[in-house]
Amino acid sequence: MKGDEIPDQDHIARYCRPTQAPGGEIQAVAFFLREDEESLSVNWMEFLSCPNRESEIAQLRNIYFAKLNRVAAGAKIAVLKVGEIRQKVLMESQDRRNLKVLHNPEVNDPSHSGIYNLKPDYELIAELILQTVLEAYPARR
Amino acid sequence: MPELNPQTDERFEVSERTSMAYGTKFLTGNFPKEELYPVAWNRENNLFRQSLFIGLEGKVNYFLTAFVNQESLEVSEASSFLRKIDPITQENLLDYEEDEIQESIFRIRTSPSISCKELANRLLTLLNDAKEEEASIAIDSFRNFYSFFQINTNIKCPTISLTPENNIYASWKSKQNRVFSVHFLAKGSVRFVIFKPNDRHPEQQIRLSGTATSDILRETVTPYGVWDWISE
Repeated sequence: MKGDEIPDQDHIARYCRPTQAPGGEIQAVAFFLREDEESLSVNWMEFLSCPNRESEIAQLRNIYFAKLNRVAAGAKIAVLKVGEIRQKVLMESQDRRNLKVLHNPEVNDPSHSGIYNLKPDYELIAELILQTVLEAYPARR
Repeated sequence: MPELNPQTDERFEVSERTSMAYGTKFLTGNFPKEELYPVAWNRENNLFRQSLFIGLEGKVNYFLTAFVNQESLEVSEASSFLRKIDPITQENLLDYEEDEIQESIFRIRTSPSISCKELANRLLTLLNDAKEEEASIAIDSFRNFYSFFQINTNIKCPTISLTPENNIYASWKSKQNRVFSVHFLAKGSVRFVIFKPNDRHPEQQIRLSGTATSDILRETVTPYGVWDWISE
């Protein structure tokens, strides 16, 4: 349901554009908000109800393909654990930032979710989040 | 490697080939066989393409492409990157900005003072990736970044990426959990992040962020020893 907190033990995926992952290496900019954004778009992986990571990634690729006009060759999927992000940022940000990771479903993307409370000082917060990336996959087959 | 100036270097001659849609010129340079000048850009499918030309029989070709249908355009032969003289439109403005970025990348490539030769390649890749996303590099951010590298010529190559606003974000990292990242904004402003070990308490890390201008960034972060490990 919209606004539900995603459990700390669950995982989220973030689509990273090629300019956010030069040379295939995901950078902190992948976790920057646009000026007019309130939350960082992610997908709640457990919500997909897939049997394993491989099928989760396959489903995410289908979602990206449907939502975006095209998925660039160098685009990546970053996988992160909700609890690790929240704990890392809480313990290591200067203002002990308490991030919220909330379910924010969209019509064609029911697993869509958001990371909230990234501003201000978003560069430092993004660098901390980057350090919690567990896995990275190509966003295109 | 000496500074390369195709307009004044006597080793170049301009030749022209005509095409229906594109006006493509070539500068032909004569260099010793062992001399490598990897400086050629060609825009195909609206992407910049860089080619390496090793001095085969002493000849190096430099592609100078006007990029668009030239029916209504005048082309300056003197410029290393051909200028379009046209009424100002948003599209033209973007073209001018991209030409400026392209020209600056060329200068970085050929500048003997900038120690990081890989920087031009990385910028070019970033520009191409941005073009694939129908975006570009924000010109004010690029100017700020370029100016920073003109002032600070002996620093290692950063990883460069683009923020959602298409600003340049440069990041240096070391194995000792050191991070120095700089967000290049308009009007010379920068926002930076530093992660460094706490020398007195090795299990701890110092983390800070701040705002400055690119011309005083070095002095601003000097107390944190950043330049000691990002310098060549």
